[in-house]
Amino acid sequence: MGRFVVRRLAGMIAVLFAVSVLTFLIFNVIPSSDPAERMAGKNATPQLVASITEEWGFDESLPQQYLTMMKKIFSGEVISYEGREDVDERILEGIGPTFSLCIGAAVLWMFFGVLFGYLSATRAGGLLDRVLTIVAVAGISMPVFLIGEILLVYLTYKTGLLPSGGYVEFAESPLEWAEHLILPWVTLAIVYVGIYSRVLRSNMLDAMNEDYVRTARAKGLSERRVMSRHVMRNSLVPIVTLFGLDFGALLGGAIVVEAIFSLNGIGEYAYISLINTDLPPIMAITLFGAFFVVLFNTLVDVAYAYLDPRVKLGESAR
Amino acid sequence: MSEGLLSVRDLRVGFATEGGAVRAVDGVSFDLAPGEVLAIVGESGSGKSVTAQTILGLTRSPNARIEGSVRLGETELLGADEATMRGVRGNRVAMIFQDPMTSFNPVHRIGAQIVEAIRAHRGEVSKQEARQRAIELLDSVGIPDPRRRVDSYPHELSGGMRQRAMIAMALALEPEVLIADEPTTALDVTVQAQILRLLGRLNRERGLATILITHDFGVVAEVADRVLVMHEGEIVERGSLDDVFYSPADPYTRALLGAVVRLDQAPPLRAAREAESLLEVRELVKHYPARGGLLRRGADPVRAVDGVGFELRRGETLGLVGESGSGKSTLCRAVLGLIEPTAGSVRFEGCEIAGLSRRRMRPLRREMQMVFQDPYASLNPRRRAGQIVAEPLRLQGEAGGGELRGRALELLGRVGLGAEHYDRFPHELSGGQRQRVGIARALALRPKLIVADEPVSALDVSIRAQILDLLAELQGDFGLTYLFVAHDIGVVRHVSDRIAVMHEGRIVEIGPADEVCERPRDAYTEELLAAVPVPDPRLARERRQNVGLE
Repeated sequence: MGRFVVRRLAGMIAVLFAVSVLTFLIFNVIPSSDPAERMAGKNATPQLVASITEEWGFDESLPQQYLTMMKKIFSGEVISYEGREDVDERILEGIGPTFSLCIGAAVLWMFFGVLFGYLSATRAGGLLDRVLTIVAVAGISMPVFLIGEILLVYLTYKTGLLPSGGYVEFAESPLEWAEHLILPWVTLAIVYVGIYSRVLRSNMLDAMNEDYVRTARAKGLSERRVMSRHVMRNSLVPIVTLFGLDFGALLGGAIVVEAIFSLNGIGEYAYISLINTDLPPIMAITLFGAFFVVLFNTLVDVAYAYLDPRVKLGESAR
Repeated sequence: MSEGLLSVRDLRVGFATEGGAVRAVDGVSFDLAPGEVLAIVGESGSGKSVTAQTILGLTRSPNARIEGSVRLGETELLGADEATMRGVRGNRVAMIFQDPMTSFNPVHRIGAQIVEAIRAHRGEVSKQEARQRAIELLDSVGIPDPRRRVDSYPHELSGGMRQRAMIAMALALEPEVLIADEPTTALDVTVQAQILRLLGRLNRERGLATILITHDFGVVAEVADRVLVMHEGEIVERGSLDDVFYSPADPYTRALLGAVVRLDQAPPLRAAREAESLLEVRELVKHYPARGGLLRRGADPVRAVDGVGFELRRGETLGLVGESGSGKSTLCRAVLGLIEPTAGSVRFEGCEIAGLSRRRMRPLRREMQMVFQDPYASLNPRRRAGQIVAEPLRLQGEAGGGELRGRALELLGRVGLGAEHYDRFPHELSGGQRQRVGIARALALRPKLIVADEPVSALDVSIRAQILDLLAELQGDFGLTYLFVAHDIGVVRHVSDRIAVMHEGRIVEIGPADEVCERPRDAYTEELLAAVPVPDPRLARERRQNVGLE
């Protein structure tokens, strides 16, 4: 276990390095205008551009520029090109709304995903299964921005039940915090509920044909116990993998949902920075997101060894 | 037939399928007396397992139509409600299954699964008491160190230990009837002998009435009191053990008994071969590095093959016998150049193939072909029989276009298939036909050596004999040399000139087939031979008395 974690940490550094280099290179090869020119504004004198170029080090070699930027990101000194704000501070501010959004949505989608999957599988072929299948497929197929807009139209603009966007700190008012997040939570969760219920349904249907389920019935267990202890327990293992990957990726910013509801989180910051081709925040957010993806990947593997005793950490499982 | 503990009357089970109704069980009646062992024998598809599962109400397909009557004492089980059935399952009638690996839930501890069975019926028993009972049960079925084993996961036990634990779980509530569905089929032969002894002991000591479902007449002869033979959903023969074995009335039973390949009967003498050597294996070693774990760093490698040498002469059949994990398959793969050996040499027609590059190996591949155990898994399900057979010819550029079809048809003809099979997919063929396609494919390039890895162990008894005859016939016609790998020493003796016995990565004994089987020199070979069940009740009794088991 200890050795496994150490090896994974080393791997994490390698991944973060590769991701940052790639992001940096992509930014430097896309045909965007020189950042110094944009910073100098319209009708700037060549002298001004030249002085900005020198001041920001845009004339240095790419590896040098990369090193400088990484140093700044990790020491908290990195400043964005657009608006010259402190990037790390801005990301820290975004953690509140982004994490609130992700954790709340994750609770929703795990609860309903597992519930719907269970109901579908135990009543496979029945009416409820068919209805849930249609709902799930509709949820998966609809683009997030469409779901968000539909909810906004009916629950905000037409009825005024819920606020249209923005974020209130939990510490400020828990009630308003929740009120502002209900729509984003539901919007984000709908897609995942669809996917998770379908995956769980098919896992459970496979598990029901396993010999050990027949054994469980032959022991005289009640159907409910057969389902919960033998079918569900074994079907949840792949769901955990999926959850780790999805949740880790979302912590780096749920771009679309945050943008629809102006939550001012990391995802929305990423969206704005991308539009402005603002390299420092893009680099910082990418690293931030990649960190969580790798972290949750590792957590998934640890969880796997716990859920399935046949899996030993550090061995190539399956 | 009135004193029955369990009585089955005119049981019929049909399944509605796309191709119409299929009658899996067609009017089966029998009684089980207290304390007797009733064997139900049949080939795959005979309806024996469906019968067993239906007794416990485990035939759950919504397409199933079940008629007739199953009475346990005073209770009618067919059509009983779930609560009644739950009270019977595990409590009055317990069941054990073929594969103890897949029949235990892999994510729960053995003890927890036994405790669960106890508490499902005796809610008043505390977890501690149930656990204590589980330990006693594990002890009573001969599991060493039951206090520790109760907390093991299924994968941490060997196959035999798992089946013992399964039996312990079945005994947990002291049932009146035990249904054992192919309880030893997935086990090695020495382990099978232990489990059969255990079942026999439980039957004697506890008077446990047992229904034993099996395809193996050897197993029947070892433990059964009475025998039912099933064929296509019906009981075609019933009687005492000796009646069924020594004076079978039904032609199907006679055919089935005749098809059994017996270890204790010497096959017709084969002409001695003094031919030159085709394959020479020397000091072959294949080690796999131990899987790293925190505590197991620097652990010894797994010695799959640990210094093996033998010679294979042109036109002969060398039988390679061993139990699972003995290194048979690894040895085969090394011989075929599919894996790189750790050390040693494999010479084919004098040419060293160990360590040969893939490209240099390619022309040699056509000289050595393989026939696999599971004909279904080793044929591409999306290709037709003809295409499968023609593929090696096409890949090696031997033939193309219209000629290819002609050659494939010819090959199919050689293995006893006709033009009508050319366009069939593997799932449209029977098990025996599939194995014939596999053999035709191996023959396509006119190889000199065929490595047959358990070629008949997935087949029914009656088909088995046909495939063995086919292999023998082709050997004569094509001058083939076989390396015939199997766990069943009876089958191996039937086809081999010489036999090599493998154990823990080494060949412990090699010699002429009759000599190895009649006068084994190695202790392990002796153990292996003694464990093979003899499909002859009198002999089986004699043997049991000789070893002092009764």
